[in-house]
Amino acid sequence: MAELDETARKLTIKLVYYGPAMSGKTTNLIGLHDLLSPDLKGELMTLETQNDRTLFFDLLPLGFRTPIGWLVKFKLYTVPGQVVHDATRKAVLSRADGVVFVADSQRSQGVNNAESFQNLEENVRRVGLDFETLPLVVQFNKRDLPNVLSEDEIRERWSAAPWPLVMASALTGMGVRETFVKLLEAVYPALDRSFSLHQTMGADARSFINAATGEPLGNPR
Amino acid sequence: MSVRGYDRALSLRELLSGVAPGKLSAALTVLLGAPARIVSADGGWVMDDVPALIESAKRLPLVHDLEIAGFLETTAADQGHVRAIAIILESFMRSGARYFMASEMHIEVVKTDFEELQRRHEALTASEARYKALSAHLEERVKEQVNTIESARRQLYQAEKLASVGQLAAGVAHEINNPIGFIRSNLSTAQSYVQKFQHVAERVKSSGDAALAGAWQSADLDFVLEDFPSLLQESVDGADRVARIVSDLKGFSNVDQAGEEIVDLNDNIRSACNVAANQISNRADLKLALGELPKLRCKPGHLSQVFLNLLLNAAHAMKQRGEILIQSGVENNQIVIRFKDNGCGIPPDILPRIFDPFFTTNDVGAGTGLGLTVSRDIILAHGGSIEASSTTDAGTTFTIHFPIRNT
Repeated sequence: MAELDETARKLTIKLVYYGPAMSGKTTNLIGLHDLLSPDLKGELMTLETQNDRTLFFDLLPLGFRTPIGWLVKFKLYTVPGQVVHDATRKAVLSRADGVVFVADSQRSQGVNNAESFQNLEENVRRVGLDFETLPLVVQFNKRDLPNVLSEDEIRERWSAAPWPLVMASALTGMGVRETFVKLLEAVYPALDRSFSLHQTMGADARSFINAATGEPLGNPR
Repeated sequence: MSVRGYDRALSLRELLSGVAPGKLSAALTVLLGAPARIVSADGGWVMDDVPALIESAKRLPLVHDLEIAGFLETTAADQGHVRAIAIILESFMRSGARYFMASEMHIEVVKTDFEELQRRHEALTASEARYKALSAHLEERVKEQVNTIESARRQLYQAEKLASVGQLAAGVAHEINNPIGFIRSNLSTAQSYVQKFQHVAERVKSSGDAALAGAWQSADLDFVLEDFPSLLQESVDGADRVARIVSDLKGFSNVDQAGEEIVDLNDNIRSACNVAANQISNRADLKLALGELPKLRCKPGHLSQVFLNLLLNAAHAMKQRGEILIQSGVENNQIVIRFKDNGCGIPPDILPRIFDPFFTTNDVGAGTGLGLTVSRDIILAHGGSIEASSTTDAGTTFTIHFPIRNT
């Protein structure tokens, strides 16, 4: 749940990149840091072990000011993918406003993806969120690798699911911004309902997404 | 909404808590070559309580997490230097934030892990208790089953014994029945023949033939004719008795026909007495005081076996000739049958054990020690009960109760 500070005229939005170990969640944040140019962009803070595995989380702060002076802050977190860190995943997921599920497209990773997605569903409920209404985008990462599921196969398998699917290669930056934009599109309506982003803060959906991604004009593409 | 934990907003003071304020303050002054101080964004906190600088001092924002957390105030002129110092300070702040978030997350994770462990521990304790209860119950169940099997085994053993005895008895009875039949019939015919001789005797004696009368006299045929009918009568009586015993034996040996019948138990008591009569007669006098009994649905062969058992036990208890009294009647809506003897009695230390399987006071080989056990099993199977009371050297009484059911 986003945090509203009316005296400081500040809204803090929490977005979480979830998924199995080594699926490229941190690489997504690195890509966003390089690709986006919003008004305000912090450094990527990583809390990792020596072998580059995320220990607690990574954090990338982004933000912009609305035309009438509200500060909208995004805190982009990743969870540790390794199974043992479930308590940490739960803690990071609590109060999330939206989730990107980063799946590994390699054929060998089907089971890990499924287990992690099930774990996401369980943890969403355990931290008191509603899985039916939680804004969620599913990203199939590592499209650049050989021996991956074809896009048709993936879309066929997920055809019954209500969430947007994005093909990505976080290492090359492909699909990283698109994933983020899809998430913002999914998150905006709920935030607008709760905090009247448009009326009170002067940010309609288009300008909200443009400002968050650093596209001053035109379509956020 | 105030957010606690690892993702809460941190103050400048918290962000710089990892560095020694005095040393940092002194180092800043040295590096900048001019007075400097670090102030929080709202001015409420000044590092190392450095006094305010002159009005013309410059303020450089210190940004953390996209927001201005505080200012670096200095009178130093070299802007390049000042900016470099600000970058170093922001690095300190980031490092402080990293430490804060990691430690808060660590605490949160440890807490949930601990709670999870406790939850599992409780679940394990509960499941252990469940298994303990189950295992205790299991022991009881096994004991019950063992008892059931033991009792079934005893009944089977006795039933087989009775069945083979019954078959033998039935065979013998059948074989005796035929000869006793023609013996009895022949004896009756013989009696009528003797009557004919008696008619002829008068004529022979009154015929006046001296030689005939002499021969009559010398053969003492008067006595023969007088004694013959009573001899035959005794033989008839004897044959009748044999026939009755055979019939009782046949009825008694019906144990292999284990079906239920509706009977008067007094009949079974009498038949048991007849079968045992020979073994009892030289040891004790048998008295029956049988009251009227309602008919009972039961397995008569089995109950006859019980009665025979008690009778023989009573006979064996006689050191000298004694008396055995069998009473039957209805008391408190129950059939009550008592076997009283005035034999040697049962010592008090043995009395509680007499129904235990394989408990016997007889010499090895003389008895299996199953008689009373099986008797009790049979009575229990009929929904009845059996108790023994005894006084040493004065006698023993076995009392059997059967519930009266509306048949």
